[in-house]
Amino acid sequence: MFPTLSLLSAYAGRRLPLGCFVNARILRDHAKREAFAAAEQTRQALRYIAQNTQLSLRMRTKAMIDLAHMDPNTRPMKIKNRCIMGGKGRGVLRAFRVSRFQFRLNARAGNLPGVKKAIW
Amino acid sequence: MPPARERLLALAKVSCRIFSTTFNPNNIRTGNKILRQRLKGPTFLDYYPKRVATFKDLKRSFPMLQFRDVEEESRVRDVAAKKFRGKGAPKKIRTKEEAGAKKGKKR
Repeated sequence: MFPTLSLLSAYAGRRLPLGCFVNARILRDHAKREAFAAAEQTRQALRYIAQNTQLSLRMRTKAMIDLAHMDPNTRPMKIKNRCIMGGKGRGVLRAFRVSRFQFRLNARAGNLPGVKKAIW
Repeated sequence: MPPARERLLALAKVSCRIFSTTFNPNNIRTGNKILRQRLKGPTFLDYYPKRVATFKDLKRSFPMLQFRDVEEESRVRDVAAKKFRGKGAPKKIRTKEEAGAKKGKKR
C-alpha cells in the first residue's frame, strides 16, 4: 500500500506536477501514466513485431519476450482513473473525474457546470 | 455461372491499387492494425489537472505587492479568539521540574 520508491523517486526534490488533490496513490498513478507515455512507442513497436506473422518466428518470439520483460509500470492496464478531488479509486464518474460522493457534494454546491438536481 | 477465382482476385488487386488499400487476399496477420492505432500516452497524461500558479507563487513572484490571504487571516483570528478564552495551546515545557509538575501525582 505504500508508494513505490522507484516510481516516485522521479519527483524527489522537485515540485509536484499536479494541481489537484494529491495523495500517494494519485501520485503513483500519475507516475505510471508518465512511465507508460515514455515507453509507449517501444511497446507498440514490439507488439507490431510480435503480431506480424510475416516475420521470422525467432524475431517474433524475441519481441514477445522483450514485451513480457518490460517494466510492469509501463503497462496501460496499471493505470486507474482516480477521483481528482479525493483520490478514491472506486465509483469515479468518468465524465467529471470525481467519485460519486464528491460529485454529489459539488453538484449540490453548484460547482459542476451544467449539473442540476432533477425535480419533477 | 460465377466468374473465376483468378478474375475476382485480379479485380480485388486493381481495386486495392485504385483506393490505395492493402491487397491481402489470404488475410495474413501483418500487425498493421497496431501501426494504425493512435498513441494514448498524451490522453492518459491529461487526466489529472496540471499544476497552475498558486497563491504562494503569486506572493513569491510579486514581493512588492500586498495580497490578502483570507483563509490565513481567519485562522489567525480564530486562534487569537481561542487564546482570549483561555483555550490556547499549552505552554512549551522547558525544564524537568515543569514536566514533573505537569504530570502531577500518578501513584
